[in-house]
This record gives sequence, C-alpha cells and structure tokens, in this order.
Amino acid sequence: MEEGHDVTQTETELKDVPDVDLTVDVTPTVEATSADDNYPVVFDVKDLSVFYGSFRAVRDVALPIRKHEVTAFIGPSGCGKTTVLRCFNRMNDLIDTARVEGTITYHGVDLYDPRVNPVEVRRRIGMVFQKPNPFPKSIYDNVAYGPRIGGDKGDLDEIVEGALRRSALWDEVKDRLKKSALGLSGGQQQRLCIARAIAVNPEVILMDEPCSALDPIATGRIEDLMSEIKQEYTIVIVTHNMQQAARISDRCAFFTTEVNETSDVRTGVLVEVDRTEKMFSNPTDDRTENYVTGRFG
Amino acid sequence: MSPMRVAFTAELEQLRLQVELMAVRVDQNLERMRDVLERGDTGAVPVALAADDEIDAMNVSLTERCYDLLRREAPVASDLRFIVSVLRVLSELERIGDLALRVIKLAPDHELIASNPPTYDILRSMADQVVDRYRDALRAWATLDLAVATELATPARSMDVFYERLLAELLRLTGPEAARVAITTFAAGRALERIGDHATIIGARLRYLLTGDPDHLAAEVR
Repeated sequence: MEEGHDVTQTETELKDVPDVDLTVDVTPTVEATSADDNYPVVFDVKDLSVFYGSFRAVRDVALPIRKHEVTAFIGPSGCGKTTVLRCFNRMNDLIDTARVEGTITYHGVDLYDPRVNPVEVRRRIGMVFQKPNPFPKSIYDNVAYGPRIGGDKGDLDEIVEGALRRSALWDEVKDRLKKSALGLSGGQQQRLCIARAIAVNPEVILMDEPCSALDPIATGRIEDLMSEIKQEYTIVIVTHNMQQAARISDRCAFFTTEVNETSDVRTGVLVEVDRTEKMFSNPTDDRTENYVTGRFG
Repeated sequence: MSPMRVAFTAELEQLRLQVELMAVRVDQNLERMRDVLERGDTGAVPVALAADDEIDAMNVSLTERCYDLLRREAPVASDLRFIVSVLRVLSELERIGDLALRVIKLAPDHELIASNPPTYDILRSMADQVVDRYRDALRAWATLDLAVATELATPARSMDVFYERLLAELLRLTGPEAARVAITTFAAGRALERIGDHATIIGARLRYLLTGDPDHLAAEVR
C-alpha cells in the first residue's frame, strides 16, 4: 500500500470536518512527576485499546509523550507498537475496521473528539515510514507539496531550503532540486521524507522503523539528524533495533504480546515505560529484562 | 517463546565460576598468610609467590574475556552489570592477593613481630577477622546472596577498633628493637586492614550487581 498517497486522499475527503481549536500553547497540561520529567506532556494516553473489527490488537496502553524527547517503542513483532504509533495522528482512521477505545489527548485536547479535524492533526503530527516513500516528483516538489496543499503563504523556496537544511540534505541536493526524488539513494530519500514532514512545521514526528531499509551509514545519519531535530520537535519512533533505541531515545516503552491460553488470541500490551537508561540498565519488569538482554522475544 | 542466547548465558555462568576459582586461589594465600603470622614458616613464601603469579594470570585472562564479551555481545541490563561487576571484582581479588603476599613476605621477621605479645595478639585477631570477612565475600559471590552482600557492604567497625588499638600499642613501645617491631607490625596491620576494606568493596559491588539500584552504585563508588 502506498501509504503516503492514501493520506493525502483522505485528507481531502476530511477537509470539511468541523475544527476544534488545536492551537494550544506549550505549557504543561500534566504536572511533572519527577526531576527527570520536566518536559511538558504532548500526548497523554489513557486506557487505550485498538480493535480491528472484533479483534483487540492492543489493550490498556497508558503513557505520556513528552516534548523535545525521543520516545522509542520497542517489542517483538505483532505487539502493537505500530498500531499505537498510528493512533497519534489518527492514521487508523484510514482503516475501515479499526476502532480506538480510551483516550489520547494532545495538549489536553481529545484527539478523537469528532470535532477535531484530522487534516490539522496530520499537519501538526507528521509521519515517516519504514520504506522511504518520496512522491514521483522533483526533490523540490516533494518538500513543497505539504506547504502548497496547506496553502502556506510563505516563500516556498525559503521553506524548502529550510526543511532540507534541517534534515541535513541541503548540501547533497541543492544543485539538483528539480531532479526526480527517485534518483536519490535510500538514505537520502528517507531524509527527504523527513524534510517533507518538517516542511509543514509540525510539532511531532512519528517514525515507523525509519532505518530498517537503510545501510549502517545512512542509519547513522538519520540517528544524528534525530538528535539534532529533537530540540525543535517531539519524536516518537518504532524500532526493532534495540541498540538504536538505547542510543537515540530519552524514553522507552516496551510492548509485548500476551497469548490467551484457551483462544490462542494474541493481544499487544504495554509492559513498561521509563527513562531509556533505566530500561537498558535496570528495568523494573522481568519481561523487559528478558527482552532487552535478548533472552526472550 | 523459547529461550535465546543460550550460549551467551552459559558463557556468563562459566565466567562466574572462573572468578570463583580465582577467589579460591586468593583464599588459599590468605590461609598461608594466617599460617605465616602464626608460625613464621618461611617455606610458605615461594609457594605463595607462585600462587600469586597464577592469580595475576587469571586476572589478565578473565579481564580479556570480559572485554571480548562486551565487544561481541553488547550486553545490557543485568548482563552488563554482571560483566562490569566481574571486571571490578577481579581487580579487588588481585589487590587482596597482593596484600596477603605482602604479609607472607614478612615470614623471616616472624620472631620480631611475635616479640611483643599485645600487638601480636591484635594482628592475629585481625587476620582471623579479615579471613572470615573474605570468606563471606566468596560465599556471597558463589551464591549471589543479596543478604550476605548487603552485610558485607557495611564496613566492619571492629576492624577500625583493632587498627586503632594496634597503633596505640605500637606508639607505646620502648627499647632497642621498638622501631623495627613497630615498622614490621605496622606493615602487617596496614595490609590486613586493607584486605578488610577490599572485602567490603566486593560486597558493595555484588549488592549493586544484584539490585541495579543507582543508590547502591553511588555507595559502591564512594
């Protein structure tokens, strides 16, 4: 499925949905709970369950996502990491049978309030996918795409250059902006997708295994980029690479799969969320310990 | 779900056992040390020197093994704490071995040390106590026993008392041999006191290994 194209199509359909004011300042909506938790909460997830039809894919998720932090979701395949990630910008709306229970607030606003405009949600909360998915257009047009459809009145050249600079791609592409984005290497394409996400000036960037299709050098560049841009953005990343989670994230959430003995139905659950250094030095839950040390999974 | 990293787990257990083996070698030298203090048997010196060479070689080889595991396995959580703890315990064991040897090398001066009963009695009591304390450390390591490790992590007040009394007695010495007795006895007493400290450090490191509590790390480093 070409997810990038689906998003824009659906955005067009949803454009007329009445809007709730998502313009909120960045003052904390939830009090900091410890000295380590100084950053304001951007998303607050409570009792979240996601269903596909009658199948409950993930249940009872509760966690905060804090501003200017990189939060990593780790866990074995099928544990619901991506499903939860997709709730943050209502990507699950695009799946007919998907249903969300519980609450996700964004700066205190219920993200699933029917009055909330999903287009505005996706402008503020960008997404980068596992496989780089540039549009079959020029490098310039890829980055300018979001600002154009969003009716951004600023200087497009300036916006494109700024986004490419912030995604550490400018020097490599400044002389061939009108060339096709498909001529870029995989790592460059992924940075272009990050530039495309940044161009609409989002607050949050969701990344779904953004490096899994890249070689180690390209992966290193994306990781460097993430630590640079977290000063300006809030990042949530799903990764299968635990070393990557340990390197780049500030906070880490471990999900696993629970199997119902009688029905054999598998449901994703959040086991533990904590500072990354704690998760990789002395996790509280034995299941986390077993997973990060590679004993089970 | 089936267990994974079986080979790695087995390697860690083997490493723990080899540290234990090295600790037993150190224990044997501590026993020789106590014997030398008791009887001044100079024949123990070459045996202890050879044993100490073996301890040093084990230290090098096990340290290399730890580096190899760190490089190869990129351990985290309890695995990482374990390997780092092994590295630290190895150097504690090596130090204890050196200090025991220092006392053993005083064998030719046994008559001199024994010539002043008050200080000689204190020395022998100190030796008994540090050997007991070391054996607690060895037992804690072998069984990964948190209660024993926690008890060890608290420095023994009685060792300080012995050490202070020893110094006071030495300062009171008079006569032509006073300086020689004092210097030799002090060297032995100082080494014994240090051995007790190193056993305490092993307890503290073991406690952090078992709990992972940052407060225990702070206590360990202090």
